[in-house]
Amino acid sequence: MDNINVSRHISGKFNEELEAVRNQVLNMGGLVEQQLRDALHAIEKHDQELAQQVLERDYKINALEVQIDEACVQIIAKRQPAASDLRLIISIFKTIADLERIGDEIERIAKVALESFNNDHQQFLISLENLGQQVLSMLHGVLDAFARMDLDAAYDVHQMDAQADRQYEAVTRQLMTYMMEDPRGIPKVMNVLWSARSLERIGDRCQNIAEYIIFFVKGKDVRHVSPESMERTVRGKRD
Amino acid sequence: MISVTPSNAQTEALDLENLSAEQTALEIRDLNLHYGEAQALYNIDMTIPKNRVTAFIGPSGCGKSTLLRCINRMNDLVDICKVNGEIRLHDKNIYDKDVDVAELRRRIGMVFQRPNPFPKSIYENVVYGLRLQGINDRRRLDEIVERSLKGAALWDEVKDRLNESAFGLSGGQQQRLVIARAIAIEPEILLLDEPTSALDPISTLTIEELITELKEQFTVVIVTHNMQQAARVSDQTAFMYMGKLIEYADTNTLFTTPGKKQTEDYITGRYG
Repeated sequence: MDNINVSRHISGKFNEELEAVRNQVLNMGGLVEQQLRDALHAIEKHDQELAQQVLERDYKINALEVQIDEACVQIIAKRQPAASDLRLIISIFKTIADLERIGDEIERIAKVALESFNNDHQQFLISLENLGQQVLSMLHGVLDAFARMDLDAAYDVHQMDAQADRQYEAVTRQLMTYMMEDPRGIPKVMNVLWSARSLERIGDRCQNIAEYIIFFVKGKDVRHVSPESMERTVRGKRD
Repeated sequence: MISVTPSNAQTEALDLENLSAEQTALEIRDLNLHYGEAQALYNIDMTIPKNRVTAFIGPSGCGKSTLLRCINRMNDLVDICKVNGEIRLHDKNIYDKDVDVAELRRRIGMVFQRPNPFPKSIYENVVYGLRLQGINDRRRLDEIVERSLKGAALWDEVKDRLNESAFGLSGGQQQRLVIARAIAIEPEILLLDEPTSALDPISTLTIEELITELKEQFTVVIVTHNMQQAARVSDQTAFMYMGKLIEYADTNTLFTTPGKKQTEDYITGRYG
């Protein structure tokens, strides 16, 4: 399902501006996804160099956020967008704020990879892997849904968060056990726990982006509504 | 729940399909209009609420001005124009044979695109309608002039030169003078046909500000080509296309989540 038709405006320049800002969001999303992939890879392979690169690249995400913000402000000032154009700009504003925060969470995760873990501690990291992959696929899914403004795909991502939350709980329980078994390892375990927390937060932010997509397509704000009400909105036909 | 909209912002949305008698200013029922062979309006059905601003928008030739003119029977002046259907004001069809058109136009005032003051003084412009009604008491006229010019947000600018020619005023001032002239006779409904299209942006904003104040006392119906203007001043908006009423809804809804694709295409500036 393709819900975007930015190219049908009478003003060709307006089409170009919307298309450009949308492409920038996709670039930003691509960059954030790559950062998460690299951070997880760095943890898995104990690749400190890669972790360092992730930390160094975060400024690019921040710079994109500022650029896109400015482009959106220009469009609002010059074009006074209405209806779906307005909803697109609002969704973009909110999406890039969440993407930027995801970038910050990824930084925290990458810092874990910079630490040296001895063999005893390796097991902590393994527990992170599943959660990491789950969140990565949520991020991938939501960016893909954003690119096509695909309502169903956005809803699917939204539903995936419950599973990520369950995995986060499982990881927490497991790490608590390690802490009880060997209190000397607590500082290390705490670091792993923080990055698990960061992954869980990324899942929540993907869920936010899914809500902005639903807002764009349906024109309904589905934040803080019951699951039933959200499902009705998503499944409901527009007149 | 905490409200984030300031109290002077747009009023709460009404259920336009089910307005009570007290909320209703005007009912348009199954209105069709022909200019000779050509049909200009098709089955228009809408209720215009009282003390609110209703905007008609749509591309040129969509029938919005024609519809506005039907409301005070300005189309009677066009020989080949034939109207079917009803426009009910207090449950009386204004197209009934026994309706006094002059009286109808006293109750439903109109302001046009280009300011059209009469070649008289500012004072005489405002009291023109009253003199026609035979009111000549100087004190009463003075009062009404002051009240109307204040109502049209023009008093402070002209109070010291009421006897000078109205042609000495700027375009924006002339338009406000015309509005003062229209409200001097205390109509119930004020029809504004693109009232700011000949004005600069600052005068436009002054008139828009005025429109918001006018609705306290009058029901305002405005035709405008400027969609942002409709979005800013109106409480509900009707989108018309090729003589048909496509969508009629609360303004906030129509400009953020229109229900019909044609409306969406028009307000976002897309090819239909």
